[in-house]
Amino acid sequence: MSQNDPNKATGAIRFDKAGITYPNGVVGMKDLDLEITPGEFVVIVGSSGAGKSTLLRAVNGLNALTSGSVEIDGERVATHSNRELRRMRKRIGMIFQDFRLVKRLSVMSNVLIGRLAHVPGWRAMLNFWPAADREIAIDALKRVGIADKAWVKASQLSGGQQQRVGIARALAQQPAIILADEPVASLDPVTTHQIMRDLVRINRELGITTLVNLHFLDLAREYGDRIIGLRFGELVYDGSAKTVTDEDFRNIYGRDFTEDDLLEEEV
Amino acid sequence: MNVPARPPRNWMLLAGVTGLLVAMTVWSAYGIGFSLTEILCNIAGGTRLITESWPPDFGFLPRLAEPMLETVFIAVIGTVVGGILAIPVAVLAARNITPNKLTWFADRNFMNILRTLPDLFWAMLFATAVGFGPVAGALALTVFTVAVISKLWSESLESIDMGLPETIRAVGGTWFQMIQFGAIPQAVQHYVSYALYAFELNIRASVVLGLVGAGGIGMILETQRANFEYERVTMIILAVLVAVLIIEEISESIRKRLA
Repeated sequence: MSQNDPNKATGAIRFDKAGITYPNGVVGMKDLDLEITPGEFVVIVGSSGAGKSTLLRAVNGLNALTSGSVEIDGERVATHSNRELRRMRKRIGMIFQDFRLVKRLSVMSNVLIGRLAHVPGWRAMLNFWPAADREIAIDALKRVGIADKAWVKASQLSGGQQQRVGIARALAQQPAIILADEPVASLDPVTTHQIMRDLVRINRELGITTLVNLHFLDLAREYGDRIIGLRFGELVYDGSAKTVTDEDFRNIYGRDFTEDDLLEEEV
Repeated sequence: MNVPARPPRNWMLLAGVTGLLVAMTVWSAYGIGFSLTEILCNIAGGTRLITESWPPDFGFLPRLAEPMLETVFIAVIGTVVGGILAIPVAVLAARNITPNKLTWFADRNFMNILRTLPDLFWAMLFATAVGFGPVAGALALTVFTVAVISKLWSESLESIDMGLPETIRAVGGTWFQMIQFGAIPQAVQHYVSYALYAFELNIRASVVLGLVGAGGIGMILETQRANFEYERVTMIILAVLVAVLIIEEISESIRKRLA
């Protein structure tokens, strides 16, 4: 399934002197220069409040920059035009810690939400989805292995299954980029590894640029290609997951790390 | 460890509040000419009314079916039309999902006006506009229903989790889609519950509206009362009581199941 135009690699992200200062004066992002190439699997680490979510949410404009710019495939993420913003968001999937499903609707309906911006408004409104879009939704469910749950109510699924629906919803967007904001923070260790493996596999299979926020260091090391460390909204580490040292993590966190920073027990 | 001594009560405040309440009640009673002696002297009239009202005239019962049905129809139309119109009114009045401050402000004030004016006022207004009869009653209850549901439901909408609406934004959805897929599904149970509650209110209100000529069983009640047919009046009241109880029972059991 080729989702992207084969002649043109998509999903490049570029931050240029990007900054976000919240109305209450808190600095969420400071002078960030960052370049992410299409198809990369990037893990973002940092203690809570370091600006991990802010960074992800700047990519799809959920948080607007207050200085600098962020570009996707050379196109600046709009801050004012809703229409422009919707057009860009259409190809950016997002996965959340709390899954964010419509619990009382079926899995299928939830995945079709990923098609909202791709179909004419009246079709979505009347729940009259084109066959092609239903096909895309089913493909997305197959890719995360829960196609058999298509007609089950979302609330009846386990946490891991709900997150898979979340991933399928993102895939249904046929995205160039997937943003995963602490995707495993409310899952048990076994399910955590399954979900992380799903994300990596999808990244490899479809070449979707993937940014994942994690707070467990061992997970970052195990699954990341590239690790980005944030501290107080600033980039303090950017390097390969293969070569990142404990010293680097200490620097990112500004302290010694403890068992709490690891998914598996021993330090 | 000992429990610390009980803090002293504020006797002054207690006495002050009690005194104020007594004073207000006495003043108000005096103001409306309320007098116990007068009530006791007139009690004979009340007893006569009661004896004349008994037994209920069961022979009149068959003639009640049609107006009773009309009352229910009026309530159904008022609830359905009003319930639909209440949806946008409630959405625009919910601070967390309204498109902008100005819309919110205008809609809030619109709702306040609807709520301030009583259903009887609307019935009279529509009676003047479209003539006395059930249509005026249905229109009045439509407005009344909008007022009830929009107020209650906009508060439900304000308490939803904003994660889902944000997710709809994140997939590139429009404001309308955010409402349809992100906000409403979280509050749909409340909506059904409030609509049923509005229906209960409307059944009762449509009886009262009949008294001022807006059709239904209330209108029969008023004509029989005006003709001093008290045994028939009793029959009508009993019939209304039974009908209202049945409908409320059904509605309440549905609402409980939803909760």
